[in-house]
Amino acid sequence: MFSDILFLSASTLIIASCVLMMWTKNLMHSCIYLLGVLIGVAGLYLTLGADFVAATQVMVYVGGVVILMLFAIMLTGGKDYQSKTQKILGLLPLMGSKYTFMWGTATAMVFGFCQIYFFRHLFTALEVQETTSNQYAPTVEKLGELLITDHVVAFEISSVLLLGALVGAAIIARPRKDRPAFLEPVDHHHDEHGEDHH
Amino acid sequence: MNYTIATIAPIFLLPFFAFVINCVLIKKVPKIVPWISIAGIVGAFFYASAIFMDFMNVYNTDYYIHKVFNWIDISHGENIFKIDLGIYIDNMTAVMLLMVTGVASLIHIFSSWYMKGDVRWERFFLYLSLFTSAMLGLVLSDNLLSVFMFWEVMGFCSYSLIGFYFEKEEAGNASLKAFMTTRVGDVFFLLGILAIWSVVGSVDFPSIYAAIADGAFTGKTVFGMSLATFSAFCIFCGTIGKSAQFPLQVWLPDAMMGPTPCSALIHAATMVAAGVYLSLRAYPLIYVGELNILIAYIGGITAFGAATIAIIQKDLKAVLAYSTISQLGYMVLGIGVGSYNAAFMHLITHAIFKACLFLAAGSVIHSYHTKYMPEMGGLRKKLPYTWIAMWCCTLAIAGVPFFSGFVSKDRILGDALYMMLYSGIGSYSIPAILGFIGAFLTPFYMFRMMFLTFHGKNRNKEKYDHCHKEHIKWNQNVPLLILSVFTLGVFFSGSMTGQGMIKVAHQKLEWFKVLIEAPVDGGLEKFKSYTKQDFSFVDTRENIPTERSLYDSHYHTGFAGQGFDAKSEQAHDDLHHAHVEGAVASVVIVFFSVLLAFAMYIFGWINPAFFYNKLGFWVKAIKNKYFFDWFYIDVLIKKGLLRLNRFLSWFDSGIYDRYAIDGWATVNRYIFKASHWFDRVVVDSIAVDGTAVGTQIFSLVTKSIQSGYIQKYIIALVGAIVVISMFLGF
Amino acid sequence: MITLKAYLFISLVLFVTGLVIMLSRKNIVAILLGIELILNAAALNFVAYSKYTAANLDGHIFALFIIVIAAAEAAVGLAIVIRFFQVKESVHIDEASDLREELTR
Repeated sequence: MFSDILFLSASTLIIASCVLMMWTKNLMHSCIYLLGVLIGVAGLYLTLGADFVAATQVMVYVGGVVILMLFAIMLTGGKDYQSKTQKILGLLPLMGSKYTFMWGTATAMVFGFCQIYFFRHLFTALEVQETTSNQYAPTVEKLGELLITDHVVAFEISSVLLLGALVGAAIIARPRKDRPAFLEPVDHHHDEHGEDHH
Repeated sequence: MNYTIATIAPIFLLPFFAFVINCVLIKKVPKIVPWISIAGIVGAFFYASAIFMDFMNVYNTDYYIHKVFNWIDISHGENIFKIDLGIYIDNMTAVMLLMVTGVASLIHIFSSWYMKGDVRWERFFLYLSLFTSAMLGLVLSDNLLSVFMFWEVMGFCSYSLIGFYFEKEEAGNASLKAFMTTRVGDVFFLLGILAIWSVVGSVDFPSIYAAIADGAFTGKTVFGMSLATFSAFCIFCGTIGKSAQFPLQVWLPDAMMGPTPCSALIHAATMVAAGVYLSLRAYPLIYVGELNILIAYIGGITAFGAATIAIIQKDLKAVLAYSTISQLGYMVLGIGVGSYNAAFMHLITHAIFKACLFLAAGSVIHSYHTKYMPEMGGLRKKLPYTWIAMWCCTLAIAGVPFFSGFVSKDRILGDALYMMLYSGIGSYSIPAILGFIGAFLTPFYMFRMMFLTFHGKNRNKEKYDHCHKEHIKWNQNVPLLILSVFTLGVFFSGSMTGQGMIKVAHQKLEWFKVLIEAPVDGGLEKFKSYTKQDFSFVDTRENIPTERSLYDSHYHTGFAGQGFDAKSEQAHDDLHHAHVEGAVASVVIVFFSVLLAFAMYIFGWINPAFFYNKLGFWVKAIKNKYFFDWFYIDVLIKKGLLRLNRFLSWFDSGIYDRYAIDGWATVNRYIFKASHWFDRVVVDSIAVDGTAVGTQIFSLVTKSIQSGYIQKYIIALVGAIVVISMFLGF
Repeated sequence: MITLKAYLFISLVLFVTGLVIMLSRKNIVAILLGIELILNAAALNFVAYSKYTAANLDGHIFALFIIVIAAAEAAVGLAIVIRFFQVKESVHIDEASDLREELTR
């Protein structure tokens, strides 16, 4: 019963946030709605009995990724752009313009219905096999065991991947000598005297 | 004494390390170089002494040590190709080691006086150390291959030392001559090694001896002659080259261009003796190959011819050089007449007194600043110690009784006389007679040299006054005096005369005669069941009889007429007679020879010019060294070889270059033209350019897809997924 | 009773939303937001299938790795965006087409 309520509220949150996310023009708002989506997904994880995954979802996404996104939006201005090309891409949906939003929605709708239609027998087949076990057991211990036994190689590789991503991100984002002129601090004092001497 | 590699190898390694260390130090601290060389050779001398003492202690002809280790092994199944290196020490080696290290030590010490302050004098010690190590390596070697390698190293050292004063053109030419002349013999030597390999399958001495004992050489022929004869001849050719025997003797007099100590060490005492040593090692082969008669002839001719040339030489070193050739001739004559023991003994005694003579000559030359005897005379007052030492050696080389030369040389002559008179082989008479004439000439020219140098009136006052009086000096006269002590015959034979006329009480005084036994007949027995084992240390101490061989049992078989059936009673008597007669004959000959020398150069009864004018043609021949240099250089090389070279060069440029190489070039040009056309038209135009044009057209089509707009790609992706899912769904 | 179909529907909604955002936005950061949504849709599918069709926890493991990879992707991607902004003074997606040949219009 509790899980049903949780499922309904979480899915409502997700769908609402998704729609708002598409709809809103402000990128900052869009990011906040993403927060809603992620929390909703964490709720769904809980209904599926995946307590550890839900916790990780909240910690990593809500605590890490979304914050990063916010920083990136703030650092880059969060400006929304118009399409630059005139041909096919000019017709592509652009948020805030009814004309283009219809395009995006239409594409997505076609895609979604295609998926549902073409894989409908898959859904019906799966329903037969569905188990209805509602026993929620803690999964942390089992997951820990699995991670250091069966999936230990993937686990180690992912740690290396994270390290690489950390170092790579630091290296890529660091300021360089060849950065654009507008980022250079302007030394007016030097310029004035330089002209005098030459 | 317990032999390991550590008790034997230092004999070779100490001088070699001295050489290596000196190579490093010669630029930085040149002053220390002579001391390191001397330390190396003296250290080797102590090791050699220990081995010699052990062999004297065991005192048995059958005692030898053979240490083998694997060098190259590329055997594959049935095909065995294996080269072992090893150390072979028997009585002969032990004596030889002691002689080489002892003489070389004294010559090193002398050199530190003689060469001091000379140009590149540190480098001289470098060569001396390398040479000594090579010589010791040769003596220690158990097989012909490593003998050959050390042989060539010695050849190189000889080349470097003869051309030591390479600023002088003659020195350069002389070194080249020595090198090229010995090369002739070396080529044959290598051929001989291969011939032996083909039969024995191995080149170490015990295996060769065992093969001979088992009769491996019988019935095998090559080029229409017996293989044993062929290989013995080839090995002996090595001796001819290295020991300056009859056809190839021309290099040794010119080798006197080098510094005197190196002449003493290399061109008189040890290296030239290495040739004879090789022949002694290969003696069983010579014996089964029946090469004795040829060797006897070569030895006799050399002994006689060189002695005649020595008579008229004005150069102090040249007299000694020709006397060296003559004495080497005696050794070879000894090998030829089967006098194995005496030939080796003469090698040792000659090494000692000739080293001493050369060092004394060096002392004179260094003090008096000339080497021409006409400018000398009366030097005994200025150089008393050199005078004494040189007299001892002169008496020894002359064959005066109680000196070592008499002991050894007269045993060779006695054996020659035996072969001439009693063996029934008439052709031995010519070498024997030549040997005796040589024995007449030897005292004469040696005494002449002594009289002209040290006695009579001085003939160059300026140089005589300039010359300082000699004092005892540890590195000038002391080596000479030490060497001159060992010219006494008592060290080599207790019987003083060498003919056994005086028997002595203790057998060990006859050690030389007893210990050195030719590896033929009885001496070959011990090798009969010999099989070589890898990494073995064959020490025959276990097998030798406990009761030591007695003097009498070895007296007759031990030294004389080796291999010529000297065992019968009749032969014993004949041999004994021959030796007595030979001894008497030589004493008489020496007496008259000395008398003639006194008459000519001291008392002035006979004017040497009388003979000089009387024997006009003979003197002319002697003056031109029997026209050998003229024949080799003017006839053989200039008329024959150079013309051949010119012809070959014409052939090379006129025929080969013009037709073969230029013709091939023309053919190639046409091939190039054809291939160039193919390249230009087919490859470039059609294949390369065609591909490029095709690629360009294709790219015009495909590049419109690659617009670079990511969202366009995403649309394509979505479309693709839709299409795929259609296929999956239906 | 909640069925697997419900979860798959939610997942589809997430996916389509991400797709729409990716297609319609010109800001690179916005496109990254869309990618996050798509990754979440996949992870949700894994966990749902794990619950309903399999007896083990492999789906959870996959979800965990997806989260890890999403985090790494976000870090590197945003670093690239910031670098891109430093160079181009803009985060317009069509600016990132330096490697293509200049099309003749």
